[in-house]
Amino acid sequence: MPTDGDDASGGGGVLAHRWGEETAGGTAGLLLAAAAVAVAIAVLSPVLWLVLRAAEVGVVEAVALATSPTALGVLVNSLLLVGLVTAASLALGVPLAVLTVQTDLPFGRFWTVVAALPLVLPSYVGAFAYVSAFGPRGELADLLAPLGVRVPTIYGLEGTVLVLTLFVYPYVFLTTRASLLSFDTAQLEAARTLNHDYRSAFRRIVLPQIAPGVTAGALLVALYALSDFGTPAIMQYDAFTRVIYVELGAFGQGRATVLALELLGVTALVLALESRVGPDESGGYGSAASSSTVLELGRLRWPATLFPAAVATFTLALPVSILAMWLLRSGPAYAGGGLAFEWSFGLNSVSASLLAAAATVVLALPVAYYAGRSDSVAARLAERSTYVGYAMPGVVLALALVFFGTRYAPGLYQTLPLLVFAYVVRFLPQAVGTTRSSVLGVDADLVGAARTLGEPPRGAFRRVTLPLIAPGLVAGATLVFLTTMKELPATLVLHPTGFTTLVTYIWRVQEAGYYGRAALPALALVAVSGLSMVLLLRQEGTDG
Amino acid sequence: MTDGAPNSDADAGCVGRADPVGTVRRSRRRFLAAAGAAGTAGLAGCSSGSPFGSSTETPGEVSFSDFRGSGPLVESRPPLEGTRIEDLPELSGELDVYLGGGESGLYRDLVSLFEGIYPDFTGRIRAYGAAEAANTIVTEGESTPADVFWSVDAGSLGAVAAEGLTATLPDEVVEPVPDTFHPDGQWVGTAGRARAVPYNTDQLSADQIPDTVMDFPGAAPLGGAMGWAPTYGAFQAFVTAMRVLVGRDRTERWLRGMLDAGVSEYQDEFLVSNAVAEGEIAAGFANHYYALRVRSSRPDAPLDLAFTSGDAGALINVAGAAQLAPSDDEELARNFIRHLLSAEAQEFFATRTYAYPTIPGIPPVGGLPTIDELDPPELDLTELSDVQPTLELLRETGVL
Repeated sequence: MPTDGDDASGGGGVLAHRWGEETAGGTAGLLLAAAAVAVAIAVLSPVLWLVLRAAEVGVVEAVALATSPTALGVLVNSLLLVGLVTAASLALGVPLAVLTVQTDLPFGRFWTVVAALPLVLPSYVGAFAYVSAFGPRGELADLLAPLGVRVPTIYGLEGTVLVLTLFVYPYVFLTTRASLLSFDTAQLEAARTLNHDYRSAFRRIVLPQIAPGVTAGALLVALYALSDFGTPAIMQYDAFTRVIYVELGAFGQGRATVLALELLGVTALVLALESRVGPDESGGYGSAASSSTVLELGRLRWPATLFPAAVATFTLALPVSILAMWLLRSGPAYAGGGLAFEWSFGLNSVSASLLAAAATVVLALPVAYYAGRSDSVAARLAERSTYVGYAMPGVVLALALVFFGTRYAPGLYQTLPLLVFAYVVRFLPQAVGTTRSSVLGVDADLVGAARTLGEPPRGAFRRVTLPLIAPGLVAGATLVFLTTMKELPATLVLHPTGFTTLVTYIWRVQEAGYYGRAALPALALVAVSGLSMVLLLRQEGTDG
Repeated sequence: MTDGAPNSDADAGCVGRADPVGTVRRSRRRFLAAAGAAGTAGLAGCSSGSPFGSSTETPGEVSFSDFRGSGPLVESRPPLEGTRIEDLPELSGELDVYLGGGESGLYRDLVSLFEGIYPDFTGRIRAYGAAEAANTIVTEGESTPADVFWSVDAGSLGAVAAEGLTATLPDEVVEPVPDTFHPDGQWVGTAGRARAVPYNTDQLSADQIPDTVMDFPGAAPLGGAMGWAPTYGAFQAFVTAMRVLVGRDRTERWLRGMLDAGVSEYQDEFLVSNAVAEGEIAAGFANHYYALRVRSSRPDAPLDLAFTSGDAGALINVAGAAQLAPSDDEELARNFIRHLLSAEAQEFFATRTYAYPTIPGIPPVGGLPTIDELDPPELDLTELSDVQPTLELLRETGVL
């Protein structure tokens, strides 16, 4: 399929032919395309079950439900939420990524970890912490009341946007960061020798090249906001997921399915929109990954740390203090539930998350590589379809896999492999997004040179491409690991019997109203995830 | 329920140890009513301590105290009656139990206690939300690995039964439980929870709480001071009951009336009860045990419970267990359910989950009126699974 290769670099010409030879040409190219399409079909399969279930509702009722004033109101609410959370996440994530990668910010490594860490806190725990702090009679509200300060109400759209942004902006931060690390700073230096100041150079040189990473992160944020249940529920904001949850809780599986399909329709819309406004992704200019300082902050060097510090106060210090307070306050009622916490829950979480991260990265590679190298409809569809599972509410996905497991793969039902598959379906786009933006950053000339020097395609991939896209792969693995650690609904429904993880334990005690008991596992979750993120980011640093 | 008399007799006879929440007035009334009828049964229980108490245990027997909770609400227990575990067939083998609902933590403890008694018995437990468990079983259908579905909500049991996935329980299993708690033998109630009105005693007195739930929207001291949790299953079951009892139109008027009066929304009924205790609201709609849980941690919280009479506000819903038809270990499943109805397990539910026991010989804790003193509406609990029209109504009125 050499024509795919021609499309790949957009600009055509000699480079394109080299790409054609290396990736899309011959059997290797066919295999790559086949693998990518196979992965896409596998992760799309749960949608098939949804359609089958929705068909049982009947077309007339389904359409009536999907277009009812309630559904339309909820649709507007969800879109509003998605737009605001995405915009706010970009405003936090991109500057933080630039600060930590390209400037001489003091303790850059520390702030990198701190800026990425909020992702380890489940947003529902964050929401509980915020309600605890700022809700009516909340801890901070009570503290500030004698001073005459009245805390504005946390409930509703504003609170939902605030909490979601604080705990999902790291998607933008991490993907932007991965792009910046794959970005060849030599170009920036060249621009600056041509008398462009950093701001102008950033706009004209850096931004176009990191745009795929930024939009990949923005897309993840948008889809998370669309599919998250916990935060809107706790913040009492009527988003899609809340209505679907209520329907499922009322044994309205068919109706919940119709709404879930409508939600997936919105997802498709977001994906289409994103690819329309997406950047010009022609070819790669990047060479070796670099994290060398390109912007001296000068007198602003120390004041600049106030920005990440302020963000960390609201994303980490505040919720962790609330958790610690719950922990310390556990009186008799908070200690009830009779559920002894075991550290093996943490081990279960870690092993399942590691498996999910490994499986996801392996499966993401062909999709991301194919999508990064080919502009064909098949490549585009394969990549886009991986995002669909991500927007499917966890409970709906879980029930889809229960249906599949009990009927077609009873040997897999309630086993770790099926659970890991659920995680892959849910989180594949996180790895595809970061990997693909790294693939786009790979300099075609370098691969071409390797081929000219006699490396076979596989050797060129291993020795040149793989090291260059490693930051993207690592970022993807990090994201999948961390989000798997805190994933709840699919874990609850699909875990092997007796396989308790940190979040299933948190859910169990929280459901029973024992918030104090949730504090320890939540803190353990933060600690384990935080530690792994430090390790992963450190490893990433050695790749340059 | 004639068994109520000896228990109340004992309450009164042992005054000073019993009745930690302070329903002295009620106990005395009950004592006067019961004294002639029940003779000295209560006094015997009082002088020797509980007949099932640890003092009467002999080595090798199942210890009653293992099943009993602790804390300010469980300082003293009257004599108890019911089938003892030692009178039941032994449990042996592996049993797959799907748990539905928030009490899973405590229910797990009970299963662990059984495992301690029977070395050959293993309870393989999977915990879900009540509706989620029902949905999962329905989706699994005939290939469900579960033997028993044990859920905190009768509606979820009804939904599974409606799909033909439950087996009819034999008389020997359901016999100890009043008929209302096993309407068609497809499941049996293991513990009850009453709808109640937690109210803040600093802000309201008991006589300011209307006796019927339909009067709440117009009640002056409650305007702008009530709380509810409309996404919570128990609340939806309550509205479903109201719909079934008084019809859709009156329910709709009631909902609109509550909204007009100004009602605060909470995520669940534990939060409602907490908000009442903290004075954020004056009263709320919640299951009874959440208030007991708040009081267990803060005995001095200005929080008490009121009950309405004969209407949806006085609904008693039950947790219950069903044997699943596809189970390949029917005998173990049935014996397990019989164990849930043993005196020991019922004492467990009463003193650890603050639920209403479903066998008459075990009284509730915390100065609650006994189950026969409550005035629940006449209603087939299985009808509570018909939540869809309720949801439509809640959405139409803007409650959801």
